This record gives sequence, structure tokens and C-alpha cells, in this order.
Amino acid sequence: MSKPSSPFETLRYDDDGDIATVRLLRPRINVRQLQELERVCDALTDVSKASLVIFRGASQGIDFTDFDPKVGLDIHGFNKWEKLVRRVEQLEKVTAFFAEGDLVGGGFQLLLACDVRSARAGVQFRLPEVQMGFLPGMATWRLARYVGVGHARRLILRGVAVGTDEAIRLGLIDDVREELDHADLRAHYRPETAVAAALARRLLLESGETQFEDALGNLLAAQFRAISQSAFLENLKR
Amino acid sequence: MPEASPRLLAVGTANPPEKVRQEDLLLRFKVEDPKIRSLFTASHIRTRHLYLPVAGDDGAPHETQGQLLAKHKWGAMQIGPQAVEACLGQVGLTVRDIDHLTCITTTGFLAPGLTALLMAKMGFREDCSRADLVGMGCNAGLNGLNIATAWASANPGKNALMVCIEVCSAAYVFDNTMSTAVVNSLFGDGAAAVLVRASTLDDQGPPVAHVLGFNSHLIPEAAGAMRFDWDEQAGKFSFFLDRDIPYVVGANAPRPVARLLAQHALKQRHISHWIVHSGGRKVVDAIKYNLGLTDYDVRHTHSVLRDFGNLSSGSFLFSTQRLMAEGKVRRGDFGIMMTMGPGSTIETALIRWS
Repeated sequence: MSKPSSPFETLRYDDDGDIATVRLLRPRINVRQLQELERVCDALTDVSKASLVIFRGASQGIDFTDFDPKVGLDIHGFNKWEKLVRRVEQLEKVTAFFAEGDLVGGGFQLLLACDVRSARAGVQFRLPEVQMGFLPGMATWRLARYVGVGHARRLILRGVAVGTDEAIRLGLIDDVREELDHADLRAHYRPETAVAAALARRLLLESGETQFEDALGNLLAAQFRAISQSAFLENLKR
Repeated sequence: MPEASPRLLAVGTANPPEKVRQEDLLLRFKVEDPKIRSLFTASHIRTRHLYLPVAGDDGAPHETQGQLLAKHKWGAMQIGPQAVEACLGQVGLTVRDIDHLTCITTTGFLAPGLTALLMAKMGFREDCSRADLVGMGCNAGLNGLNIATAWASANPGKNALMVCIEVCSAAYVFDNTMSTAVVNSLFGDGAAAVLVRASTLDDQGPPVAHVLGFNSHLIPEAAGAMRFDWDEQAGKFSFFLDRDIPYVVGANAPRPVARLLAQHALKQRHISHWIVHSGGRKVVDAIKYNLGLTDYDVRHTHSVLRDFGNLSSGSFLFSTQRLMAEGKVRRGDFGIMMTMGPGSTIETALIRWS
């Protein structure tokens, strides 16, 4: 098991037991950063007791200097990235992303996978992949769910930059702030809410593709799990 | 793998010839009660294969317990041998090559049991050892596989065959109550056979599943939640399913999985394939949300339920067959098999393809 904090090069990982923080230190995503993010997910799943995980920083997307232009890019590398984003999206913790600078491509994707999304003033979000001749990964899937196919076409096909005002209007981010308010986050996302939050997130993400009757079956299965939690039962007694 | 590990070399299945849609059954047996009708039509089952009785003048079937037991026996002797042949035919073996036979059923009591009847009917060698597992319900396929793989490991190179034969249409009570309607709308008839052999040889051809271990989980407080009762009024055995048991099973599912993974120093993310018993939509949903599995993870569980209903002990082998036919399994992949049933119990097995 990886020790938190020390062995990472492309990010910094801290965990105070309530909140885990992952700072992206590299301007662009390379293979090393992908592997380190995978290790972070391992630690978050296997070891961490934190109920909230915050990703923060900025990212300009894939670092093409990391790839041999003669060989080209490996499709399995793209698959690994998508699996990583999916793991973040499925963590049984509340997930947050604080955009301290512009998020392009993969960095923007990672934000879309998180529950709580905030940005500093002036930050821009962009998916330039189609303009470069390839695809913005499963942002094609996530972004359409956030904003509908109409807006998603504009953002993905034309690669237009989205500022914070429009991002708030489209629901891509919740707010603009200079710094995250940890006390406020702690107050809203307590340890006993992590499982319910993850279940609610899953039901929301599935809502577009599920008929009501199936969704109700899913809800009852999830609800039984939520109300059987000792944390929920303790709360009832108070 | 240095030691001879038990491998699942082939799976064969069979069902009765008559395939019916849920709506056909309502017509055939003149079911008018809207609540019962919606149980059939709103379920996630489209078709089932059943040994159906002829309807009486009132539209309802009238089979005595004696007739049901007889149906269990002749039905089992039809689909059982078909599943065995389908299994052994894939690897060019005959019943003469089988050294151990485990048979599993819950839908009827027989003495001598299914192993003796199958051996006599199909011409197994007289020195084939055997074991009958009777009355354990939907989970029994993995209880039986535990025995068959242990036998195979103790006898490397020898062939063990496990056959699940369930004629659920021989365990129906038709009395217009919701309790029996739940059962009648859910269970189907089917048989599944799996060939198990342990050897140290490298496998050629497509990936072969090795069984690495088992973990069980009994929920004693839910002992009465799934049970066979004697229905005095009907003069028949009647299966009872508690309304909440799917959720209770789901809530307990992470426990045996966690133990099974810990025994082999694995994490759940290392599991690529899930073979979950097609018990019914509710229990599969509950397992999904407790273990964090997706619809994709349980796609074969759903499709087997849709096409056959709950086939009791053999269901998970139908899913195994579909998984192998799909061609997505790669050498080195891990999988977890999970069955659940009366006890109440959850049985799990860890497999790895190589």
C-alpha cells in the first residue's frame, strides 16, 4: 500500500481522516500522473477513512510530449484514463473539485466526475480535442448529461472556452470562490452522509437511462442499504 | 499455478421444450386477479421453459402432490441427461469417463436419488462415486461445486461432474394467493451440468476457469425467510418467499465477498467478472447497490432471468455459459460467483481464468 504524501511526483495527497486532498501539481496529464491518480484511488478505497475527497489545481489536458510521435498514442491508455475518471465518479465518498486555474480536456473531465465543483474567478474550461482531431473522452457522455446535447455540441465540436459565469449557469460548477471553505464542507458532508451521497449520485447518473419502474426498484435497493447503516440509525436516536 | 487446481472445463444446459411467455400463462390458466396478473406481466421475466399441466374445467391446473413428484422425476430424467450430454460433448467425453457425480435438486424428493437414476439411465460406470444434495435451494449450485472441486482436487486428473436439475413446475401450488403467485411467476425449469477436473497441465485454447476458493455466509435471523412449507389445505409442499429477504440478502452480500477477497489478498477492483444467481430483479438490484456493481456487471444475470426465470441451483451455470460464449474473458481475469437461497444464505466462489 502506498504511503500518503511522500512518493508522488505529479500530485500531493494529504488525508486528515475527514478530508483527503489531492493537489494536481503537473500542468499536463502524463502517464505518471495517471498512475499516481490510480494509486490515490487505491488509497482512498482501501485505507482512507475520509468522507470527503477534494481534487484541486489546474490542468491543460494530455501531455503529448510524453508520447513518442512515431508510435502515436495507445488506445489502451485512453481506456485507463476513462476507468480512472469512472473510479473517481464511483468513490463512496463525497467528491469535490476546486479549479484553481484553467481546466482543459482531461482536467475538465475529472471536474465533471465530482459532486461539488467550484472554481476561482477567471478560470476557463475547455475541450479542444475535436479541434485537434481527436475526442474528449467520455466528456461526450458526461457533458451531454449536464447540459444537454445542444450545449454539449457547441462546447465539444467548436471547443469554445466556458467562463465561470456560463459554467455556473450551465450547472458545470456550483460557485466561484477564492478558497474552499473546509468548515462549510465538513458541516454539509458529514461522515454519515458519504454512503447516502454516493448512492444518490449513482441514482442521479442512472436517471437518464432508466424507466421509472426500474428506477424505483433501484431506489428501494439503495434506500434499504442507506437506512440499514448504523450511522443513519444512530442519527435517528438523537 | 504449481498445484493441481480444479477447473471448470465445460458447462452444458437444457430446458423443457415448452417455452411460454408470462402473458401466455395468464391466458392458459384464466388468471383474472389484477394483482396477480401484474406480478406476472411487470416482472423482468419474459419467457420460461416449464412442464405445464393441462388446465382443468375451471381453468386452473389440478395436480396432486403425487403427480408433481412424478413430474419432477420424469422431467429431471429428460433435462438432466440433455444437460450432461451438452456438457460432455464439448470436451469429447462420455459418461463412461466420469469418476464422480454430484446431483443437486430442491424441487422433489427421490430415493434413490438423481445420481443413481442418472447413472442407470445414461450408463455411467458402476464405480462412479456420487453425492446427492437435496433441499438446499437456489444457492445449492455453489455448495455442490464446493464438494465437486474438493473431490477433484483430492483426485487429480479424474473427472467430476456436477448436475443441477430443477423442475420448479413440480413445486407449484395454484391457489390464487399472492404468496404462491410470487413463486409461480418467478421460477422456471432447467438443468445445468459442469465438468470439473484438477490437473497441473497448462490449458490450451480458450481461457479456463480455475476455482480458487469459496466463502459462505449464513443469516440465521432470516432462517424462515425462504422455506418449503407443507400446505395442509392444498396437500402439497409450497415454497414461501419473504417480501424483504431480497434486501436483507443484498445488505449481507458484501460480507462473504470481503472475506473471500481477503483470503486471496485481492480487492474488489481486481474482479472483472460477476456471476450472480438470477434470483429475481429485487435481489439482483440489492446486490448491485450494496456491492457497487453495474447493470453491465450483472448483464448475464439479467438476461438469464429474462429468458428462463429463476432456475434455482443451476441459474449461475447458465450465466457462466453466457459469459464464456461472449468471448470477453481473458487469461488472468478474476471472477466471483455468487448464489443465494434458503438459510438464508449467500455462497461465493472466487475463480480465475488461465
